[in-house]
This record gives sequence, structure tokens and C-alpha cells, in this order.
Amino acid sequence: MSDAKFLIRAENVCADRQGRMVLDHISLSLAEKDFITLIGPNGAGKSVLLRHLLKLETPQSGSVTHRGGLKIGYVPEKFHIEPTLPMAVKRFLALNNNLKDDAVLALAEETHCAPLLDRPMRALSGGELQRVLLARALASNPHVLMLDEPAQNLDVSGQLQFYKLIDDIFEKRHLSVLMVSHDLHMVMRSTRQVVCMFNHICCSGAPESVAKDPEFIAMFGQDMAQMMSVYQHSHDHDHDHEHDPHHHGGETA
Amino acid sequence: MTPVIITCLILALLAGPLGCFVVWRRMAYFGDGLAHSALLGVAVSLLIGISDQIGMVVIAVAFALSLLWLRAQGLLAADTLLGILAHAALSLGIIAMALLGMEDAEVHDYLLGNLTRVSTETLPWIIGACGIAFGLLLRLWPGLVLMTTNEELAQAEGVLVRRYEFVLMLLMGALVAAAVQLVGVLLITSLLIIPASTARLFTKTPEAMAIGGSLIAAASMLVGLPLADRLAIPVGPAIVSLSVALFVLTLCGRAIVTRTASGT
Repeated sequence: MSDAKFLIRAENVCADRQGRMVLDHISLSLAEKDFITLIGPNGAGKSVLLRHLLKLETPQSGSVTHRGGLKIGYVPEKFHIEPTLPMAVKRFLALNNNLKDDAVLALAEETHCAPLLDRPMRALSGGELQRVLLARALASNPHVLMLDEPAQNLDVSGQLQFYKLIDDIFEKRHLSVLMVSHDLHMVMRSTRQVVCMFNHICCSGAPESVAKDPEFIAMFGQDMAQMMSVYQHSHDHDHDHEHDPHHHGGETA
Repeated sequence: MTPVIITCLILALLAGPLGCFVVWRRMAYFGDGLAHSALLGVAVSLLIGISDQIGMVVIAVAFALSLLWLRAQGLLAADTLLGILAHAALSLGIIAMALLGMEDAEVHDYLLGNLTRVSTETLPWIIGACGIAFGLLLRLWPGLVLMTTNEELAQAEGVLVRRYEFVLMLLMGALVAAAVQLVGVLLITSLLIIPASTARLFTKTPEAMAIGGSLIAAASMLVGLPLADRLAIPVGPAIVSLSVALFVLTLCGRAIVTRTASGT
């Protein structure tokens, strides 16, 4: 927790929702080039924690500190667009940030949204909307990308593609990622650290060590743990052959 | 007629963009409640001897603050709270007007509007208040549109959404105060909703919808005024009926265009 290069640091954050302790002394720190995946069952307070880390909510006790001048790009869990609001994707990306047309185009190309630019926002499919939201989150050139279950409404191939995209962005932009996700087996490759929480932080660390943690197994069951270690096994196997422990998604999905 | 026409144009300028937010953010009931509270504002200003407009704006601020506070308590739904506040303000306003010995005809004027109440003396007030309101709206426009698109996103990007929302409420209060003489308390919200809804039918950007709303509002008023005069009918209902007619026409036009475009 004494990392001098921290971007966001939460110390003993507590939050209460109708008498229930949703965040119970959470301490967490995000440093440069970190990739943290936050997991936990429904009602574990993951989204509430993100809202606190974004400073959208003030903790009851404890503190959240941002490094000076920190910019965060945020992809919210739910996104509803009012049907009476006429809004093309292009306009949405440049809303309230004075982004020039060529910058919008570059952003759209990076996130595979270029063909969507003239489409109305409400005519987008689930996967397209997630990519547009990702583009919007990147518009400010953020130091941190925060995503709240970004792939939950996508089919399996859509999930794979989306996580691949995040992985690419993480590699190319040298930013930090903090993501809430249940699809642990899909983000294993890029995530450096898994934080498993159920109102308090149960365990955290590298994916392989978390998978062996008794608290993790108690929460997600033996199946999930096994799935993770199976993946981990083949992952390790790859490394043995390629001698490239930092090989992250070079091949196409 | 000139002060009346200037008033109309100013109201139209503000009603277009403000009406868009009423439609997008579903604030129609709020607009009605605010308009009802204007009656209490009139009574209060009569009681303490200030101008109608100031009384109405003060009560509108109190109305918006009470609503925001009650809503933050999270005990009842926003529309229930609005119903309580709006009808409380309306009843209190009517009672106060009766106790102050106001004639029925005068109350009627506040409810449905009366051109003769728009005078050269009130004009500077209207120009000043609406000018400030329009300037604020222009300045806050990008943030307001972003927070209307998605509140959480706007908040995460640093838009002070609670403050912006309050400003939006104040602007509506200013419009109500400026429009009461012309269209009356009962019909003010329609001046916001109908032109913006009509513009929605043929526009593709938020800005186009706002400008379209202003143009349609201006057209309804500029045609409605002489029409009401010629037919000796109340001016507020004349303006609103005209804007509804434009809405229906646009709806039909749109249906024809889409049918032709689909090639049948």
C-alpha cells in the first residue's frame, strides 16, 4: 500500500447501504500499468467500490486518493439512452470534450467503431454499444480505464473479442485497467492481479494463487477454481515452450 | 403589439432548447408543478408588494429546492412528491388570492393568460431574465446534453450533475415567470413540450431539435396572436392549439415521407 507510484489508493473505505455494510474496510491501490480484475458474487459491493474509486460517492469512513491530475475513463455497467434524444455515435464521442473529427475517427478505428459513426446511438447492438462506450472512455486519454462488467450482455465470441480489444488497448496505451468481471477465465491472460471481494477483500494476488485460495474456492466453488487452474496450466505450458512470459494476445482471437 | 411580439420571440428562443430537456429528461410533470406554484408566487408578491416576476421566481426556487431535498430523502417517488408539492402550491395560491380579494376574472387571467397583461413595463424584466437564462443554457449546453445522455458518465467526467439539474430547474422557473401573462399557468408546459416533440420528428442532432423547437414555438405564437385577436378567443389556448396542429401535420408528413422512402 506504500507504492509511491499509485494512481488510485483506497484506504479502509467503508460504505453503508440501508444499514448493510457494503464496503467493509476496503484497501486497494492501483499503480501504473496495473491490470486488476475485481471479482465477487452479486451484492458483493463491486460496483459500489468502483463508484467510490471514481469519487462519485464519498466513503462513510476511510479515504480514496487520486494522484494529482488523474484522468479516468469509465465504462458504466448499465447504459440507457433516452429514445427521444437524437444522438449519432460521432456526436456522442465528441460530447463535452471538443474532440476534432480526425481524433474521433482515430478513436473509432482503435475501438473498431469506425463503421458506426453515423449510426444513431439507440440503433446499436449490445457489442457495438460496449465498443462505443469504450471509445468514449478513452476520449480523454485517461491514465486509468475502469470497466464495470463490460461484457455481461455479449455472447461468447463477442466477449472474447471485447476482452481482446481491452487487452490490445492495455498493451498499446500503457494505461492501467481496473475491471469488474465474472469472466475470469477470459481475462486471465492479461490480468496481473485478481481481487476477490465480498464486502471485504477476501483474497488478492496473481490469478493462479487466488484460484488456490480457500476463500476463493468457498465463494466460487471447486469448478471455477478448477477451470482457472486448468487454464493456468495450459498457460504455463505455453510459456515453457515460448519462453515469453509477457506474451499478451499477440495472435488474433 | 410590439412588446407582445418581442415577448413571444424571446419565449420561443428559450422554449426550444429548454423544451428539449423537458422531453429528454421527462420533466413534463415538473414543469406543470412549477407552473402551478407560480400562482402562489403571484399571491406572495401581491402580499408583500413586489413584482409578480420576482415572487414567481422566488417560489420556483423554493419549489425546486423542496423537491430536490425531498427526493434525496428517498422515501417517495419523484412524481408522488411533485404531486404533493404542486397541488399544495396551487391550493395555497388560490386560497391566498381569494383572501387577498382578487377577482375571479383576474385569477382566470393567470390561469389562461391575457395579452393585455403583457406591458412595456414588464418587458425589461422578461428580456433580462430570459437573456441570462439563455446565456446560461448555451454555456452549460454540452454538459447538460452529456448528463442527459448518461448521468453516471457525466458525473465520472466531472460534470456537477446535481448543480446542473438545479440550474435547469431555475431556467424553467424563469421561463414560467416570463410566460405566465401570455399563456397562463395551465398551458405553459405545452409551450415547452409540443414544439420540442414536433422538432424531434425531423431532426438528427440535439442542437437541431432545440433550434427546430424554437422555430416551431415562434411560428405558433406569431400566428396564434393575430388569430386569437381576429376570432376573439383566449390567446394561450390559440397558441397551444396551433402548435398541436403543427405537431399533427409533421406527424402526417413524416408518415408520408417514410412510406415513400420505403418504396411502396
